[in-house]
Amino acid sequence: MIRFESIISRIVILHVIAVAITSVLMSVALSWLLSVATNNIHNDAMEEQAVSLAEHLGLDADGQLSLHLPPNLQGLYSQPYGRYSYAVVDQAGKTLFSSLKDNAPVFAADPRSATVEFLETNSGDAAISGASVRRIVGGRTVWVQAAEDLANSDVLTDDIVNDFYRHVGWITLPILLLLLVIDIAIFRRALWPLRQASETAQQITPARTDIRLPLKEIPSEVRPLVSAINKALDRLDEGFRLQREFTADAAHELRTPLSILRTRVETLDDPHVAKALLQDIEAMSRVVGQLLDIAELEAFAIDPAEVADLQAATAEVAGFVAPLALEQGREIELLGTTAPVLVKGNAEMIKRAIRNLAENAIRHTPRDTVVEFVVEESGTVSVQDRGPGISGEERELIFHRFWRHDRNSQGSSGLGLSIVQRIAELHGATVEVENRPAGGACFSLHFISAAPYPKS
Amino acid sequence: MRLLVIEDNAVLSELLAKGLRAAGYEVDLLATASEARAVLMTTTYAAIILDLGLPDGDGLAILRELRHRKDSTPVLVLTARGGLQDRVSGLRSGADDYMVKPFALEELVARLEAQLRRPGQQLGNSLHIANLEFDLRGRQALIDNQPQVLSSRETEVLELLMRSKGRVVSKKQVEDHIFGLSGDVASNAIEVYVHRLRKQLSDRGAKVTIHTIRGVGYLIAEEKRDPV
Repeated sequence: MIRFESIISRIVILHVIAVAITSVLMSVALSWLLSVATNNIHNDAMEEQAVSLAEHLGLDADGQLSLHLPPNLQGLYSQPYGRYSYAVVDQAGKTLFSSLKDNAPVFAADPRSATVEFLETNSGDAAISGASVRRIVGGRTVWVQAAEDLANSDVLTDDIVNDFYRHVGWITLPILLLLLVIDIAIFRRALWPLRQASETAQQITPARTDIRLPLKEIPSEVRPLVSAINKALDRLDEGFRLQREFTADAAHELRTPLSILRTRVETLDDPHVAKALLQDIEAMSRVVGQLLDIAELEAFAIDPAEVADLQAATAEVAGFVAPLALEQGREIELLGTTAPVLVKGNAEMIKRAIRNLAENAIRHTPRDTVVEFVVEESGTVSVQDRGPGISGEERELIFHRFWRHDRNSQGSSGLGLSIVQRIAELHGATVEVENRPAGGACFSLHFISAAPYPKS
Repeated sequence: MRLLVIEDNAVLSELLAKGLRAAGYEVDLLATASEARAVLMTTTYAAIILDLGLPDGDGLAILRELRHRKDSTPVLVLTARGGLQDRVSGLRSGADDYMVKPFALEELVARLEAQLRRPGQQLGNSLHIANLEFDLRGRQALIDNQPQVLSSRETEVLELLMRSKGRVVSKKQVEDHIFGLSGDVASNAIEVYVHRLRKQLSDRGAKVTIHTIRGVGYLIAEEKRDPV
């Protein structure tokens, strides 16, 4: 079974087969009709000849039948010419007159019934075809036979029949092929709305779930498919919407009470209690924030056309975390290129990933050491600390949600690196963890470069 | 100075009012978008604190309407949603600043003051860090209330750093602030000014540190005593 990739190719192939069959059938039909027509012409001519011969039959003075042919007719039926022949047969089957040798009848077995009869016979190789006409001359019934040797048949009709294809028949093929071209054009036009619908469908991404395929102009045969796709998109969109709504509602329900709690604690009279409580609230707020980030990332999708400046994003995060780091006795340095580094992705999300790496590094690096941010032109950012580093068996575990090296460590929820990994996944980026030769961990994010002219 | 707080949570709204009154402001409280619309048609405030999650409408719509009327009252947006799209759309709608709940009251007041001190806004007195003061009107630095003579470049750098207290100022921002669009900045000019300013301040006993964050910029902060 042949499988067709496209409707057009299916139409073309089937149409070509149809054209082939139709042209054969048409030529057969046409030549049959033509031969019938020429046969009729021949029969009519033979009948006419027999009638005109009969007109020259008469009675002699002695009452015998006589045939006096004018010279032109004599020439026509003369032996050397041999194309036409005639005979006059009486009721007893006796041949009265004949153009043939030995006074033979043209058609031996004459049933002598009909007024006019068309007969065929063979004489040697030649096919003889003609008519027999009944006449009553002087009270006697005779049959006048006129015939033509088909081997010498009329050149004109011959040519028409034999050269029919060469001169006329070929026209059917181009007509059918023209029909094929017209059919293809009609189909292409009919499929145009579908093509447009697929172009629209191309724009649908998780970031643009509001797009629906246009039903206008879609052929009714395909309409059920298109509306089923639209309904499926509705359900997907609804899922995304519910997830986003949940995130927004959860954020509001969790963060507003935390704000109240925080503001109340800030106005407490006992500064020591207030400080301890604020630290707890901060840790809690961080976990809430990270959980909400994770929930949001589940329903977030990046527009594939989005481009972000990794250098600017890193500089902003470095600036953002620097005051906190300095307060805790850690320093921040931003190294690497200072020119914009364009990568595919969402700047806010990239900042969030770098910020999580930064907070992680600040937490693990000892006092009076430096957390280094390095941006490379290739689209890589790494955050390096001077902490204990990551042991081999921990390398996979650190990206698990809620995993912590020390279950009792303060200020860490174990969510930061899972957020980093999720953001990397969304960006088609990779996360790499290494231990630095002089001690400490180095986390690298390799993004997909979006530089217009990649440097070789 | 009168502030408008638009926040639907009654408890938070009362606590905010209490905190802001303690910081010396008068505060009006509104809980719905419709009330806020009505009031803002007739009353002008020094600044507005706007919660985005209002029961009867999106707070951002109010902000857009306000900006559409060419009203440039500083607006500080509060939101429970730290979401990416929220943050971006908030600032695009014309918010001057943006804080995600839960926020520190102290920081809210500081950011509000930063807005009110912007040119054309109502607060215009002075900035403080430890024993260092910067008089914004007289453009004068004071250490332990003693006026100090600094070069004009040093003064400009100091003003920018102190206006951005708690935040890192990028080297580019300093360049733009000092040289504007005139270009022609020697590559190490800013380093030289910061170095001189740092020396001047420490020589005169200011208990502040100007941190250099390599590759990022500068940050002025209270001098840290060595940890015990």
